[in-house]
Amino acid sequence: MRLWKKIVIGVAALGLLALGGFTYMVGGPRNLIGMLRYDQRDEGKLQVGDRAPDVQMLSLDGKTPVKLSSQIGDKPTVLVFGSFT
Amino acid sequence: MEALRKKYADRVNFVTLYIKEAHPLDEWQMDSNVDEGVCYPQPTTSEQRIKIANDFVKRFSYQMPLYIDPIENPANAAYAGWPERFYIVDEAGTIVYKGKPGPFGYHPEEVEAWLAKRFPEVGGGAASSPSS
Repeated sequence: MRLWKKIVIGVAALGLLALGGFTYMVGGPRNLIGMLRYDQRDEGKLQVGDRAPDVQMLSLDGKTPVKLSSQIGDKPTVLVFGSFT
Repeated sequence: MEALRKKYADRVNFVTLYIKEAHPLDEWQMDSNVDEGVCYPQPTTSEQRIKIANDFVKRFSYQMPLYIDPIENPANAAYAGWPERFYIVDEAGTIVYKGKPGPFGYHPEEVEAWLAKRFPEVGGGAASSPSS
């Protein structure tokens, strides 16, 4: 076999191995497809030192609009963003 | 986070912003959520999101004040909170800590380190671990 063929096969094998390893790392092919289609992680524009933007939120009973700024003021405030899933 | 909240309850406000689902069943569903029976489609109305937030609060007996990002996602748009993220805002409304997006950038121990530095008088051992 010619040298260049060996190199091509070697590179292809390494590529497949890396793809397999990555797929395993992210939790299987379903999670890999999910990540490729739905990953919305974003660094965002806010920086330390910026003013925290005010936003309108909803209460758990769904009836009361609450401004984030109303929760900020007398003490430092830890904001925790997240969801059930 | 609950241990941390209790530890600094007198000195720090903790607020949860319930944002769009990270792993709904019609998008990037995770096997771990299937195992735990946490299967919801991505809400298309604020009412649907509020319902899931209430399920979440019940399931974990969640104590921290929690508010829901309306379905237009204004809080997530402003803060890039998805899928999970911490910020600390000081009394003047200035951002003093910005965490990175989870899961890999989600570090309660960084939040605790900031609080411990600001309130050295609280002392005691670590209330949070990297996985909590």
